[in-house]
Amino acid sequence: MSLDLFMRLNTLACSLVLLMGIAILWRNSLPAYIDSFARQSMFFVMGILTVAVYTRAWELYLVAFMVFALKVVFIPRLLHRARKQVGADIEIRPFVNTPASVLLAGILTLLAYAVAQPIVALSDLPTRGSIPLAFAVIFVGLFITASRRSALTQIVGFLVMENGIALLAVLATYGVPLIVELGVFLDVLLGFLVMQVFLYRIRGTFGTIDVDGMRKLRH
Amino acid sequence: MGKSLLEAFQCFLALAISPGLVGFIRWVKARLQGRSGPSPLQPYRDLRKLFGKEVIVSTNASWIFRVTPYILFGSLTVISLMVPLIAAPLPFDSLGDLVVVVYLLLLGTFFLSLAGLDPGTAFGGMGASREMTVAALAEPAIMLAIFGLGVGAGSTNLGQIVVRTLSDPGRTLSPGHLLAFASMFIVMLAETGRLPVDNPATHLELTMIHEAMILEYSGRYLALIEWASAMKLFVFFSLLANLFFPWGVALTLTPGAVALAFGVLLLKLAVFAVSLAVLETRLPKLRLFRVPELLSVSFLFALLAVTSSFLVR
Repeated sequence: MSLDLFMRLNTLACSLVLLMGIAILWRNSLPAYIDSFARQSMFFVMGILTVAVYTRAWELYLVAFMVFALKVVFIPRLLHRARKQVGADIEIRPFVNTPASVLLAGILTLLAYAVAQPIVALSDLPTRGSIPLAFAVIFVGLFITASRRSALTQIVGFLVMENGIALLAVLATYGVPLIVELGVFLDVLLGFLVMQVFLYRIRGTFGTIDVDGMRKLRH
Repeated sequence: MGKSLLEAFQCFLALAISPGLVGFIRWVKARLQGRSGPSPLQPYRDLRKLFGKEVIVSTNASWIFRVTPYILFGSLTVISLMVPLIAAPLPFDSLGDLVVVVYLLLLGTFFLSLAGLDPGTAFGGMGASREMTVAALAEPAIMLAIFGLGVGAGSTNLGQIVVRTLSDPGRTLSPGHLLAFASMFIVMLAETGRLPVDNPATHLELTMIHEAMILEYSGRYLALIEWASAMKLFVFFSLLANLFFPWGVALTLTPGAVALAFGVLLLKLAVFAVSLAVLETRLPKLRLFRVPELLSVSFLFALLAVTSSFLVR
């Protein structure tokens, strides 16, 4: 694959990862959130594959396959099941309304370009142009977690943030060593499973997964 | 000589094809909904009928009401001379760039809203207020999208954008290009009053925007406005088709290249018309208060387009 084509496809995949993250901010149903996350992971896999094809690194194919299995197939399926069991369907009254969220996502992207400047300047890889996009995905994930009430959406926000961190690793260093990658995957999976258990507990105790109701704990 | 002939042909093309384009979209939509639908030629018949009818103007209406159809139609005719429909560096390129085209389009919108307010009817005022809400939100988005496109191509001149995109076709894959396209597409839906924003096929008072403003018009005034809004759709389609996917646009004025460009243009318009019809069949109309959400997404697309063309080098 030529350098030019590689850069274009890679930037395209990274932009789509960011867009799918932002798509969560302007939709308001939980199934749509989960599907957006699955799609985002799909584009992330595409991004890893472009790097893998360009650098001919076999580990990256393995990483791409694991991301696909874990984040495109397994986690979205579990999320859908959890959503059906706790009976949550739409995100009601987020802390920040939709137009403001979307505009804030734009500002966060600009911020990402600003903070990633020194890192981009350090790198001389052809993927350095997309590093700010990975930062933007991290910020957007954090923003989703902070601005939404439903515990399930917050989990999705966490997973989006994690996608951003993994994307940053692939873009900035062509992927960390395989053993580290495996450790991270295990971490994400365990973290996710723990959060899912919490989801059921919150639902069992409060009868809703709206975390606003958890203020009652103080009394 | 050949160039002025080309300009005349472009203008004629826009005038002649646009009602057929609207008719074609209606026909495809009808087919998709399982109706047989009126023939695609119906808008031409409507126009002929309207031109033959007498004009009734409210006694409250001022000169703005009478002059608006001509301003609207005139601005669209001028735009049709500046948009690269068939050949790329047009002689009228020096007349104005993409910014001028967009603001000529908005000039028509502005006068139409004034004309909606002018006779002092309730519906006209409501339509004008809604139209202004949509236009005020669509304008920053389209300006940013143009800026993103211009930064990518190094010029906001329409002919130059087409020529440079043709010389570097790989750029059509860049996120800046695609995001600017998505942003312009949403703005197109809003500005031409298509489905998620406004329903062109209804006169239900609670939902209409465009129809509410032109409710007072009749006869040849209405015909001019209908024709102008068909041309607006045509202009937006050709802008989207030829700026973002410029293949087929003639760079030389040989008969073969021009004929090919004409064929390709018709094909692109048909593709856009069918996709719009499919979209309108599948999408429900957005509640008015959710329209700002859609337009803020369009704005975000444009913003990301600018950052990715400007900052990613």
